[in-house]
Amino acid sequence: MLKYLKEEGPLGPRLPLIFCPGCGSGQVLNYTLYAVDRIIEEDNVRKENFLFISGIGCSGRITSHYMNFDSAWTIHGRALAIATGALLANPAFKIIVFTGDGDNASIGGNHFIHACRRNIDVTILCLNNGLYGMTGGQHAPTTPLGMITTTTPYENREAAFDLCKLAEIAGATYVARWTTAHPRQVIKSIMKGVRKRGTAFIEILSQCPVHEKASPVAILKRFKRDTIPIRRAEGPAEGKTLIGEFCDLDRKEWNESYQEIIDQFLAGSG
Amino acid sequence: MPKKARRNEAANISPGPHFLKPGKYYLQGSEACIEGALMAGCRVYAGYPITPAVETMEYASRRFPQVGGRFIQMEDEIASACALIGSSWGGAKALTATSGPGFSLMQEAISIAVMSETPMVIVDIQRAGPGQGYITASQQDVMQARWGHHGDGPIIALAPASVQEMFDLTIEAFTLSEQWRTPVLVMTEETVAHMREPLVIPPWNEVEVRERKKPQDLGIPPGDYLPWGHNTVAPMANWGEGYNVNFVALVHLEDGNITRYSPQANYHCVERLQKKIEGNADGITRIEAKFLENCKHLIICYGAVSRTAMEAAIEACEEGLEVGYLRLITLWPFPEEKLRRIVGTVDTIFVPEMNLGMMRHPITEALRDQCRKVVSIPSLGILHSPEYILSKVREETS
Repeated sequence: MLKYLKEEGPLGPRLPLIFCPGCGSGQVLNYTLYAVDRIIEEDNVRKENFLFISGIGCSGRITSHYMNFDSAWTIHGRALAIATGALLANPAFKIIVFTGDGDNASIGGNHFIHACRRNIDVTILCLNNGLYGMTGGQHAPTTPLGMITTTTPYENREAAFDLCKLAEIAGATYVARWTTAHPRQVIKSIMKGVRKRGTAFIEILSQCPVHEKASPVAILKRFKRDTIPIRRAEGPAEGKTLIGEFCDLDRKEWNESYQEIIDQFLAGSG
Repeated sequence: MPKKARRNEAANISPGPHFLKPGKYYLQGSEACIEGALMAGCRVYAGYPITPAVETMEYASRRFPQVGGRFIQMEDEIASACALIGSSWGGAKALTATSGPGFSLMQEAISIAVMSETPMVIVDIQRAGPGQGYITASQQDVMQARWGHHGDGPIIALAPASVQEMFDLTIEAFTLSEQWRTPVLVMTEETVAHMREPLVIPPWNEVEVRERKKPQDLGIPPGDYLPWGHNTVAPMANWGEGYNVNFVALVHLEDGNITRYSPQANYHCVERLQKKIEGNADGITRIEAKFLENCKHLIICYGAVSRTAMEAAIEACEEGLEVGYLRLITLWPFPEEKLRRIVGTVDTIFVPEMNLGMMRHPITEALRDQCRKVVSIPSLGILHSPEYILSKVREETS
């Protein structure tokens, strides 16, 4: 798996990780490489077909700094618009977008819902830590009610987005939520997402020990304690966050559908 | 057209049955623009509807799939410009068209494209501003074209003045963007975009197009590839070709390093971009000049206004006013040296523009010691009539 990591090279030595001690980004990097490695081996996919695109934020660092693949570190919130463009140029790309809750749901919210609606062939890995980590812990559209952040000093009064519900209702064809404390499930979901021809949205609750001012272990324990698998939840899960696969269906992917239009003309030209 | 450009034939672009056959057509400027883009090998259009650029977009939606290209209506102009960036990195030539408010929304992406040296073409069919302004023609975005995107990045901007030039300059825009690895703007007006007049489409194999220089072409293996090195214009590795290319728009070193930041690296990175375009302004820019010999006064114009300015110059000459005519085909980089060489010394320079006087500033700066006076002739919401320009010339010279 190390062969997929930019350990050395123009970016210099990248290990130990650049992330703050205890950050969840390193775990997600590990899970992703594991999933990608298995897909390359099992599905006989060329490594060159993989493409990693990110926006701005802590999650954005994963691509440029660590992925020894074709990649881009792009504009805050715009990774999915750029991924859409890449698929217009070459529908064969297998794109994984690393994004965060602020990047994806706030500044990039419009691109997010439209990527899901179009069902473009991309796997979105959204690291949700409930705040803006890189800029110093401001509140995000995912910050729980009542939480104190650097821009909600008197507590957060805005309701949080349920990103999985948003993705599902917008038209994504595979939607799942896990936490960094669920490695096997995350790996399985990433593999399913990459294999899905369409938009796969995987939300991964990830710890930010620095801004949450808690130990990583305590947060991971909380992830285990405060989540409940969707198949075991009966009725509203009081105070608990639902985890699991929310949808897994088949719907024509954007390029697949557009190709039918192109083919009409190719057929016409005999 | 640049000398080293390869022909369509050599670039292995098949004309296909859905290309317009060579000959004379009667088309709208918007349509000519799309036909030019297709001829240049553009196969991706991503846009968002805005008046007066909808005709361009609607025509693109019909034409692109016919030639095997892809058209997409994005959720806004920000997404449209970003889709062009993604397409370009993926190896395609990509186009969008917009107008004032949409052009404002694209500025962030333009800046990213300048820094990451991404070829793409944006057509701005200028409408009146500021704000929503009105949907009538203007030339009010010519300064935004140069300075609208954040940072010190250079830009190439062309100004077509006819339906034929909407075709020709769109092809040239793609040529320049691939040659110099930079976004290129086609700054037209509602006037030219909505005008219908004859358009001559040449045989496809006589059209010169340029493909981007790739590291493969120069025999550079992935291990030795410097994404922002090798030459003044770095060869560009596309995604999917085994070069593990990482596109970034941060201050970077030649090898793509973004972590060894220093003020020197910052200066070198941005100065190199600037020099790439400004330092080659003579080769990039084009000017059209008439009646310059022994002229006492000079009209300098661009875009749609040049059509009535030409009339005014002819009539002025007939009146014995010795007025020369000069049209900027390239607005940016500003052809300062070229202008200084061509113009010589004149008395008064008239600059009719469909704004309150924008390009008169670089013109004044360039010809500061070669003329007595620069007179701006502004017009908002309507194209200057030849009589109006002539009356201003008479006013100043009598």
